[in-house]
Amino acid sequence: MSSKIAVMADQDTVTGFMLGGVKDGFPVDNMEEAGEKLKQLAKEYSIIITTEKIGDNFRETIDKMSSESALPMIIEIPDKEGSVERESDPIRELIKRVIGVEMVE
Amino acid sequence: MAQEMIEGINPTRMELLKLKEREKLAVKGHSLLKEKRNALIMEFFNILEKVKGSRENVAKNLEEAYHDLTTAQVSMGDLAVKKAAMSVTESVDVDIDSRSIMGVVVPVVDSETQERTIVERGYGFMDTSVKVDEAAKKFEKSIQLIIELGETEKTIMLLASEIESTKRRVNALEHIIIPRLQNTVKYIEMRLEEMERESFVRLKMVKKSMESEEAVNG
Repeated sequence: MSSKIAVMADQDTVTGFMLGGVKDGFPVDNMEEAGEKLKQLAKEYSIIITTEKIGDNFRETIDKMSSESALPMIIEIPDKEGSVERESDPIRELIKRVIGVEMVE
Repeated sequence: MAQEMIEGINPTRMELLKLKEREKLAVKGHSLLKEKRNALIMEFFNILEKVKGSRENVAKNLEEAYHDLTTAQVSMGDLAVKKAAMSVTESVDVDIDSRSIMGVVVPVVDSETQERTIVERGYGFMDTSVKVDEAAKKFEKSIQLIIELGETEKTIMLLASEIESTKRRVNALEHIIIPRLQNTVKYIEMRLEEMERESFVRLKMVKKSMESEEAVNG
């Protein structure tokens, strides 16, 4: 089964990824638009690339989608301003919760 | 330990047999679930090895890519870069399959990004600068890495939620259901023994009274 990739991010990120060869780029300007687009894209595409800033705004929706089923795959990447400094790495939090001990990497 | 029991159980032999059966099943289920949990955690650690550092790798690649993109935008203008981007042909061919780790369905991504030459990308050379090529090349590489990262992160999340629920079930069986069953079994056994003793004593008394009656009569 061939799958489709979509990029939903700010204009520059979308331009970059389209240069890289992703055909379906969806530039969004504000967060309301992003939320609607995300729901819409989740039905259609199997891989959605979005930025960390958008991801942080829809943390609950994304977490729910990611832990429930195998698809769609939502990947958050840093945008051109660099990655968001987070107090805690979500993946590390998850590991801590699951294993019960903090792992030092 | 708290002597918790299952409420509303009649101390009969029938119930005892049923409970013993249930206890056996619970113990078996517990050991199976424990094995499942251990296998999942092992798998989890294997994947953790893979994800280590790959997020940083993606961030670094993207940073370079963004840098080149910005340079291209500066030298050619926003619109020209956008125009070039629009005409780029699709490069990523992704196949998503799924595999099952102890019953957890995780995606397996098989992606093919071929290294493309400038000609194959599909934009014109006349109005584009060399920086566009650089940026395109770096984005291609980043996309590949991002897809791989996405696969492992997704797997980690799915595994994690499965581990959590398995752990909860193992603990519930170990600390609540099995002790409760054991206590109930013990309670019924004790009750039955007690009833046996009672009836034994009753028989003795009946016998005694019958004997004394006979002695009086005879």
